Amino acid sequence: MSRFILRRLAELVVVFFGVTFIIYAAVFALPGDPIAAMGGDRPLPDHVQQTLRDQYGLDLPIWQQYLNYVGGLLQGDFGTTFDGRPVGERMAARWPTTITLALTAWSLMMVIGVLLGLVAGLRKDSLTDRSVLLGTILAGSIPVFVLGVSAQLIFGMQLGWVPIAGTNEGWPIAYIMPALMIAVYGLAGISRLMRGSVIDTMHSDFVRALVAKGIPGRKIVGVHVLRNSAAPVMTVLAIDLGALLGGTVVIEGIFNINGVGQLLFQAIRQQEGPMVVGIATTLVMIFLVSSAVVDILSSLLDPRVRFS
Amino acid sequence: MITKVQKLTGALSLLALGLTACGGNGESDAGSGATDDRQEFVVASSDPVPNLLPGRQTNAFQLTMSVFTPLTFLDEDGELSYLQAESVESEDDIVWTITLRDGWTFHDGTPVTAQDYVDSWNVVAYGPNAFENSGQLANIEGFADVSADEPETEEMSGLEVIDELTFQVTLSGPDSQFPLQLSQTQTATFPMPESAFDDLDAYGEHPIGNGPFEVTTGYVEGESIVIEQYADYAGEPATMDQITWIPYTDTVTAYNDAMAGNVDMASLPTSRMTQAEGDFGEDRIHSFPGPGISFLGLPAWDDRYEDVRVRQAISMAIDRETISEIIYGDLYEPANAWTPPVMPGTPEGICGEYCEYDPEAAAALLEEAGGFEGQITIYFPGSGGLDDLYNAIANDIRQNLGVEAVAQPTADWADFTEGRDEEEFDGPFFSRWGALYPSQQATLRAVFTEGGGCSNCAVPYDDAVAEAIAEADQNDDGSGEAYAEVQEIIQENFPAPPLFFETYNMVTSERVAELPGSGVGEPRLTHVVLED
Repeated sequence: MSRFILRRLAELVVVFFGVTFIIYAAVFALPGDPIAAMGGDRPLPDHVQQTLRDQYGLDLPIWQQYLNYVGGLLQGDFGTTFDGRPVGERMAARWPTTITLALTAWSLMMVIGVLLGLVAGLRKDSLTDRSVLLGTILAGSIPVFVLGVSAQLIFGMQLGWVPIAGTNEGWPIAYIMPALMIAVYGLAGISRLMRGSVIDTMHSDFVRALVAKGIPGRKIVGVHVLRNSAAPVMTVLAIDLGALLGGTVVIEGIFNINGVGQLLFQAIRQQEGPMVVGIATTLVMIFLVSSAVVDILSSLLDPRVRFS
Repeated sequence: MITKVQKLTGALSLLALGLTACGGNGESDAGSGATDDRQEFVVASSDPVPNLLPGRQTNAFQLTMSVFTPLTFLDEDGELSYLQAESVESEDDIVWTITLRDGWTFHDGTPVTAQDYVDSWNVVAYGPNAFENSGQLANIEGFADVSADEPETEEMSGLEVIDELTFQVTLSGPDSQFPLQLSQTQTATFPMPESAFDDLDAYGEHPIGNGPFEVTTGYVEGESIVIEQYADYAGEPATMDQITWIPYTDTVTAYNDAMAGNVDMASLPTSRMTQAEGDFGEDRIHSFPGPGISFLGLPAWDDRYEDVRVRQAISMAIDRETISEIIYGDLYEPANAWTPPVMPGTPEGICGEYCEYDPEAAAALLEEAGGFEGQITIYFPGSGGLDDLYNAIANDIRQNLGVEAVAQPTADWADFTEGRDEEEFDGPFFSRWGALYPSQQATLRAVFTEGGGCSNCAVPYDDAVAEAIAEADQNDDGSGEAYAEVQEIIQENFPAPPLFFETYNMVTSERVAELPGSGVGEPRLTHVVLED
């Protein structure tokens, strides 16, 4: 068992260095000079540009820049942005917002997905079943940008049910609409999975036994079928949580939610290498750690995973 | 079994509680405004918040101009008045004596003295600090010594404190425009109190100024910045009690929030210019003529553009009026001179027929010059919302001159700057200059002289222009007539077709009755008037 965990952790280290280097190199490879572009069309004085380049080591070869960066990272220092603010602090201030948004989206995805799947599964091949399939696929195939802006105009502007933008009104009202927009993209998968699972469970012997015993249908579905068929769906949902964090970038922009997604967007525009790599690395690490935890947990539950 | 269900419910409600705790830290209802007579104003800011130290800020002019009072002030008509300075005087345009008003204090209660100015300017100029706006002080004698990488001195030789309220500035050459260079957008000239120098980074997040507003909530990542009226302000008090800046990343989202009345002012994004009148109505769109002008830069290093008639033909082929109407809802003003009209003495209309749309004359002129070989590729910075403009210009050129023309975006700003500075472009390119003070000098020097600031914006450079500007620097009496003569030389050379005079456009909520402007295109937030 401990060998399996060790192997999983070793993989994590390799992926960590690989990912940070690739992202660092990608930012490095962007055309143009970030310092020269800082002043927009009113260029900074030459001596200022040179001093900044020296301070941030931008004239060094890429491997040296990368080593400096990783060296700092291992000591918990994420570097500083070009205007002299620590990247770590800036990210730390914004993570709670993004995590709140992602968790809200995740909860919505879970509740709505499971309910839709349950209804579809119980009424297999009915009009309801078909509509759930069609509806979730349709909603999921509209670009997130279009869906987000439309929802903002209809529910925020015209109906005034939710705030148009920002998090000033706090959770939940300010987060509902953006979270829903993120959740929509997972609904098709979750509801399909749940539907199949419900159909299987409905045909199982213990359900037949319950029906024979004369237990009311509502209780069979609510207590027994729901719980038994939700199990496989939960594994998928756990893995989805990591992916959801990455999905917040566009939505944060549209709804002006000051999370890391917006920070990432700004940083890419300004070629702030340390910031881009910092955020991307944290996103990747969350994803890796959460999937590693899921793997380890499932290996504990099912020894076959360990030896595969 | 019931216990398990209860556990699940329990877990879910814990999750919900956790979420509430995370999300519940927002401020309450920022946009709803006054409960009593308190005048509150909420602004949507869509740029990332820079370091707010006045010598460093690059895009927080509204905030800096509210927290600091400049030495001199330029109003909408380009008239200069004196605020923190009582007078700025010189016999020879080289040695200037600045006298401060008595009885003014910083927000920390310390008096504003001549020593504070001298100390602040030296810190801003200091090379190792690498402050973004240090170039604004470059005319002062001794700047080069202090701004070096490893300076031997920390004090500019051109600065001398005379007494508590008077100091003397010696320039490296005569410059009649110096008082203008002390006005509201030259933020590098703002004073900082002694307490600032202990920790400049902390000061950059929470600046202490000498202006009508003091910062109550400084920069906090992703949160709003709040300033409130400073009770002991010695100048004319502001009309607002409080101003809040809410950060947005998407200008369109800010625009929508202004429409819904959640913020009182947002900038008008280009993509909404044509529909703004329908969304807001004429009275709630505020267009401020700014000290900016755009050109179609032409590559002097490509000999196909060497003939002045080719350059003039391209200019005449561009239908500025229609482009402004279709893309910008008439909010952009077609340019007909070499500096924007907010700059006093600008000879409007000097460009004459060459800035007028005349497809036949354009084609004839190009014919006369021997035609054009190959394709015209127009380069512009991508992802800046400029695609429509440059596609329209390319279409005009193609249709009216019969030359194949395409508009080609670069990856981003950095990529564009590099291509232009390294003279890599083989066709026309985006070219724009936004001056920081409305004197023709600010534009002419930056755009039409080598090393003026806007590199390769309008080439070829002509020594005669540089000489004429230097002469005007000595002779101009404030009317700008001396600089108007420089424009005649430029008109003869016709280095790059002028395109548009810039306007800064804002939309406001229904609460705003008056949004006054200033001489630099920025609204004057200290003088906003709200509806009763």
